[in-house]
Amino acid sequence: MHNSTHKVRLTDIFLTFVKIGVTGFGGGMAIVALVERICVREKNWISSEEFLHGLAFGQILGPFSLNVCTFTGHHLRGIRGGIIAAVGFMLPSFLLVTLLSWIYFTYDKLPQLQAALKGTNPVVIGLIIVVAIDMGRKQIKGWSGMLMAVAAFCASVFFKLNAAWILLGAALWSLCSAYYRRRFT
Amino acid sequence: MASLLLIAWTFFRIGLIFVGGGYVLIPLLNHIMVEQYRWLTLRQFLDGLALSQLTPGPLAIIATFTGFRAGGFPGAFVATVCIFLPCVMLMLIVGRNYERLKKIDLIGSTLDGLLPAVVGLVAAAAWNLGVASLSGLKEFLILAAGFALFKWTKIAPMFVIFGAGLVGLLLNN
Repeated sequence: MHNSTHKVRLTDIFLTFVKIGVTGFGGGMAIVALVERICVREKNWISSEEFLHGLAFGQILGPFSLNVCTFTGHHLRGIRGGIIAAVGFMLPSFLLVTLLSWIYFTYDKLPQLQAALKGTNPVVIGLIIVVAIDMGRKQIKGWSGMLMAVAAFCASVFFKLNAAWILLGAALWSLCSAYYRRRFT
Repeated sequence: MASLLLIAWTFFRIGLIFVGGGYVLIPLLNHIMVEQYRWLTLRQFLDGLALSQLTPGPLAIIATFTGFRAGGFPGAFVATVCIFLPCVMLMLIVGRNYERLKKIDLIGSTLDGLLPAVVGLVAAAAWNLGVASLSGLKEFLILAAGFALFKWTKIAPMFVIFGAGLVGLLLNN
């Protein structure tokens, strides 16, 4: 865990999230998987539990790829850290889209980058699967946890439910069972 | 060209609604940009969406594209800052209170209790992305190679992803 006496430097936060912003093709969970690899695994900046709490909040509050970056940055260095992580993460995409927009509106042509995505998409799926397996090993304990994970997976894949509703449902269930355990055991 | 103030206000408002959930974003953006302000034609809007999906940022980065059309580089900048401002502010507020609230026993155990659902959603994202983009043996082979590299080696994800992009360019051009 990061030690509060050795504060992570703001430049380190900035550069790390710029790197994530440059690499994370595929968006959404690809970013989450990258932040998990780099900030949880590699640098030990934030614990796996705290990171997943941040992801839960981030999914309820809109664009979760940006939200997990803000959350992790805030965890390290407060408001300034959060803003710097968010800016660092968005900067490469902003520059890339500005450049592509300029090309598009000047030459009326869409740059043909889709071919590259045909290579990155499968690899990103591989990354997300690896992260899901590692997270699952650590966070899913016992039958009730397994059941909840499978239920959330099915609700998203087969019933196309919004992630925010799934998480609010899981939170309600989890709150009730925590309350029940406290009250009756 | 639209005034920067109008761009700022428009995208800030979109950002506020966006906080409620990203799914309403596309029809809403279409309504505001194509029908209301006529910053984009429908074809440009669709091309802009495709272009936004090329980048690592969230889909809402289409704000950059529209802002560029409506007000050049300053427009792109203002639109991007304003659409993401509400969610960044909200996330900072969440982060600030999170450390405190987590210490309350009931809230802490509720948060821990819902973690399996988060993991389930991460796995679901892999599934959904797979259904959309795995179309042949070639893709499955790249997927298997990626999985093996991430699982059993310590190669930086950046190299693997860029390498895969290169492979994609070579195989599909």
